[in-house]
Amino acid sequence: MKSTKKLKPIAAIVGAGRTKFGELWYKNPEELLTEAGIKAMESVDYGLRRKDIQACYFGSFLYQVTNKLALLPGYMARELGMNIPMSNTEAACGSGGSALYNACHGIRAGVYDVVLVGGFEKMTDRSEKILDDLMFAGDSHEFDAGYTFAGLYASMMARYIHDYGDADGGVKCREALAFVTCKNHHHAIGNKYAQFRRDFTVDDVLNSPLVADPIRMLHCSPVSDGAVALVVVSPEVARKYTDTPIYVVGSQQATDDVSISSRESLTGIKATRLATEQVLKRTNMTMRDIQIAEVHDCFTIEETFFLEDSGFCKKGEGWKIIHDSYESFKGSKSKHIPYVNGDKEMVVNPGGGLKADGHPVGATGVRQVYECFKQLRTEAGENQVDKEGLNVALSHNIGGTGGIATVHILMKE
Amino acid sequence: MSEPITRRRILIDYRIRAAKCLGCGRVYFPPKSFCNIEGRKSRMREVDHFYEQGTLLSGNVIRGPTKKFAYLKSFLSGIIHFQNDNLKVPGRITDYVPPPEEIDVTEFIGKAVVPRFRKIYTDGASGLIYYSSLNFSFEDDYYPFQEYKPVKSASSSSPSSKRGDKGKPGIVGYGVYLPKFRIKNAPPGALGVLERTLPFADEDTTTFAVEAGKRALIHSAIDGARVKKCFIGSESAPYAVNPSMSTVSQVLELGEKYEGGFFSGGVDAQFACKAATDLFIDAAALVAYPTFGGEYVMVIGADNSQAAAGDPLDYTVGAGGTAFIFGNRKEEVIATLDCYVPYTSDTPDFYRRDGEKYPQHGGRFTGIPAYYKHVGTAMRAALKLCGLAPGDIQYVANHAPNAKFPYQVAKEEGFSREQIEPGLVVKYIGNLYSGSCPTALAAVLDIAKPGDKILMTSYGSGAGSDAYLFTVTDEIERRREKLIPVKEQIENPHRQYVDYSTYRRWKESS
Repeated sequence: MKSTKKLKPIAAIVGAGRTKFGELWYKNPEELLTEAGIKAMESVDYGLRRKDIQACYFGSFLYQVTNKLALLPGYMARELGMNIPMSNTEAACGSGGSALYNACHGIRAGVYDVVLVGGFEKMTDRSEKILDDLMFAGDSHEFDAGYTFAGLYASMMARYIHDYGDADGGVKCREALAFVTCKNHHHAIGNKYAQFRRDFTVDDVLNSPLVADPIRMLHCSPVSDGAVALVVVSPEVARKYTDTPIYVVGSQQATDDVSISSRESLTGIKATRLATEQVLKRTNMTMRDIQIAEVHDCFTIEETFFLEDSGFCKKGEGWKIIHDSYESFKGSKSKHIPYVNGDKEMVVNPGGGLKADGHPVGATGVRQVYECFKQLRTEAGENQVDKEGLNVALSHNIGGTGGIATVHILMKE
Repeated sequence: MSEPITRRRILIDYRIRAAKCLGCGRVYFPPKSFCNIEGRKSRMREVDHFYEQGTLLSGNVIRGPTKKFAYLKSFLSGIIHFQNDNLKVPGRITDYVPPPEEIDVTEFIGKAVVPRFRKIYTDGASGLIYYSSLNFSFEDDYYPFQEYKPVKSASSSSPSSKRGDKGKPGIVGYGVYLPKFRIKNAPPGALGVLERTLPFADEDTTTFAVEAGKRALIHSAIDGARVKKCFIGSESAPYAVNPSMSTVSQVLELGEKYEGGFFSGGVDAQFACKAATDLFIDAAALVAYPTFGGEYVMVIGADNSQAAAGDPLDYTVGAGGTAFIFGNRKEEVIATLDCYVPYTSDTPDFYRRDGEKYPQHGGRFTGIPAYYKHVGTAMRAALKLCGLAPGDIQYVANHAPNAKFPYQVAKEEGFSREQIEPGLVVKYIGNLYSGSCPTALAAVLDIAKPGDKILMTSYGSGAGSDAYLFTVTDEIERRREKLIPVKEQIENPHRQYVDYSTYRRWKESS
């Protein structure tokens, strides 16, 4: 089994808090972030006082647009009653993961020992224009071609089905891409914070309203409000706060052209491939070592891409892995449905992913790590992955259609 | 988009401009100043793909568009691949209306597409209108792909004789643009108009003018850099102030290029339906005038003809445009301009006040005291001036507010059905207002033989007529292969009919 003893952790997480995700009509974005931050601080086993926090790293994509406010540090200094360095990272849907990445490297550089990382988004305050706003994370020529985000992923999905789908019109491939929805919604049933906690069938997915052919509504993650926060500390001081810190042993980021049209391929995310390659290399691991993964499933095709881009399976075989894994699950009473490829087995999106837990975009990257933290500490309650020796988790957060990808590997011991 | 952003985008989007590395051949869109591979050694050159054909690499049907594209409801967007440069760009497929049920987009992958200059969206009713050539139609649909092989501009030091002897000015090329969509008049009526063209929701007079001008350049094989003046006649220009002409010049690169602009000029003209034809004589005069210093002038008549819902005009109006290029090189002129008679009076038969959306008209007063009087007078005067009788003319091409007026006036002046019928395309496309008479002339030129004489007489309410006599030259035969004849467009099997509510919706959004 892999152990942190052979690795030099970058940082450690000692506390985590979040709000429920969904339509949170009665809270301002700064209030959501404060709620998550306070929860994270209060969750620290041996206590943490506000004065212990040396800096805050926030991640948000659209708050200037959705809520007509700026200078987040000023708002959060007021809300948290602190006057420490604060910054906001904007990397579209990858904002949260990028904020954590920056925090890890702030700690690694020796500048800070204790920081608060928060991700948030308040999308429903501008529901009627959110489709347009989200396209800030696309190339302006994509917007002018009439694209929506679902449309961009639909173009990638269509090409994937065309290039790699089964000969019979890609019927099984399309089923597999619906299975991702079914699996992630099934995983969210035990997640009390999730936006949607109900099962869906393949027929439900394939008969849901068309959004951008071939993408239907149930292939998409929702529009959500929410915030998540983590207390991130240097490994050297972690035990001061808890006996069960979760270590960040790998933190990598890669970028690519903002536009899908200028990329090498429409059927994969290069930034994911590069970031995953680097993080696995840094930790001397392979995908065989990853037991759970919180993967960026903004659309179900994206989860499929991750299986291939990360090396969990070969290019073009992701949908087959999904299909086989889901088929073999049928009739089982298991809470979680792992993907299996030979000797590799990995539970993807145990918390329900973006698809079911919700996708308040700036919060997502932090929420993924929150879920890994809870799972590795066996604190996921009803949603706990039932696996002996759970020790290694991966989070994968991307921005836009893959203009940025951040991958973290977390370990218990 | 703000005005400065718009100007920067125009430089890229109108021509699908990219940057090509001369070292490794990689192409970047939008253009950039260095190659990722060659780095500091990069030598970059601008390339554009306005006249090229691409293929659909992938796509999807947008069912829930952004606010800006809500006017289109649902449509196909995709990634377009230009093989020559291995360039990929995002684009929207236009003139395609997806069915309500799911379509298998994978079946579209690999299909050939052609760039179309179209509106993308507007900033409300009072803001800018944004255009782009990153809109594409399927090559096997209504519009065929046409290769553009211009004869390069001669250098200023070249002796004039090398570029051909000068002769009588006339038409050197033309292009007709009729939209794909049609509405039938049911029951047939409206003074003989059986069906009419209408704009797709993303078309307007400026896009018609660009497409017509593009076809005229392709037909004439003239380098746009040699066209020094562009006139557009229309009564439905998208802007009250801001010329369509500058858009057309920017897209078609008319005039010698200099720092993002062009050494060329022109104007948008308004005189109801004769705004374009009035300028034929000016175009011909300019190319023969030494101080002009240019070789060619483009004149475009285009309209998304306006009519209020339920008005009798609402059953005759069409949409489209025709462009003519005038020059005076003997080996290029396909029809010489031999005679010109203008006739004008202040007759308020049809008008639109500033700020009003639709024109008003005097009903039956638009007939005898207006149309018939002016057209008939100009026709007679032209024949007299040239010393010709109706029998000396092979074809007449009259302005056609409907199918009855142009036929009846010509008949009264002594012309036969055979002389009138070929130009009577109004029956199938409707009244194109400023584009009506030019399109009738184009339809006649499509079939005319060397030596044929054509009497074209326009009419513009308010009121006036211009009668022109053209004589077709031997050159016309040499250039036929680059034409898309009017008849071919009228009978195109891919034309698509819409119902009245769709017609009104698209017409309103144009």
